[in-house]
Amino acid sequence: MKHSVNRPPTPDAAEDQGKEPPLQEIINVKLIESGEKERLMELLRERLIDCGWKDEMKALCRAHVKKKGRNNVTVDDLVHLITPKGRASVPDSVKAELLQRIRTFLMSAAL
Amino acid sequence: MSGPNEDNNTQLSSHIFGDLLDSIIVDVASECHRIAKLGLDRNLEEEEEEMRLSAQARARVADPSNSSETNTKYVVDIFGQTHPSVATEIFECMNCGRSIAAGRFAPHLEKCMGKGRKARLKVTRSSTAAQNRYSRGSPVSTYSPYSNSTSTNRLSNGTPSVAGEEYSNGTYEEPWNKT
Repeated sequence: MKHSVNRPPTPDAAEDQGKEPPLQEIINVKLIESGEKERLMELLRERLIDCGWKDEMKALCRAHVKKKGRNNVTVDDLVHLITPKGRASVPDSVKAELLQRIRTFLMSAAL
Repeated sequence: MSGPNEDNNTQLSSHIFGDLLDSIIVDVASECHRIAKLGLDRNLEEEEEEMRLSAQARARVADPSNSSETNTKYVVDIFGQTHPSVATEIFECMNCGRSIAAGRFAPHLEKCMGKGRKARLKVTRSSTAAQNRYSRGSPVSTYSPYSNSTSTNRLSNGTPSVAGEEYSNGTYEEPWNKT
């Protein structure tokens, strides 16, 4: 046999990792497939609206738009604007409620 | 002492929560962006402009040189025209044929066409024609408003004889003519 035929096997992506898909991936898939992710999103959205968080974020956006002029604003701008403030201003009760739900799901997912 | 599993769980939960929150943040940003681009939200610049205009208008109203005009019967509209409070054009009523001022047309039609008590009863006149004939001149009878010359005729034109003509112009089948 020619040497050229005996080339090393094509590196396999999975083999490179040396492990199965990360835990996170599995969980994410389970979340989505069971519909729980959707439910959690809706719950979080509702809570954030109730506590006025969404209105705060919208006010921030509006102020930014006014400053920059409405034709000069991109979605990216707004995302970067809101993300730090948004993450920091979620009420503790809301966060706790969601974390609890997620933990429950993780346990019941029987990993 | 909770095992490593617990910590994992907590870490994982936080991570998942962060994911959810990021998605929602992107949604909110996208929504605000859309509103801004479509001009759906009253932009603060426009609001300032409108506030300025409304302040101007308010000043104009408060201006003493204007109040003399508004105190009179005639109010000046934005084109500088004045209108009498009752419209004065004359029309012919399609029901009774009388000449009516435009500003009095609606009340006239009410009575003429049937909202009023007396007008409605006119429609049933043919069925009560016999009664009318015998109750002519009786002030008490409510079914012959125009047979009684002294009755309180609610038509805008207070002449009973004219009122009588309304319904003997051939549109109703009357066995007798009223004078």
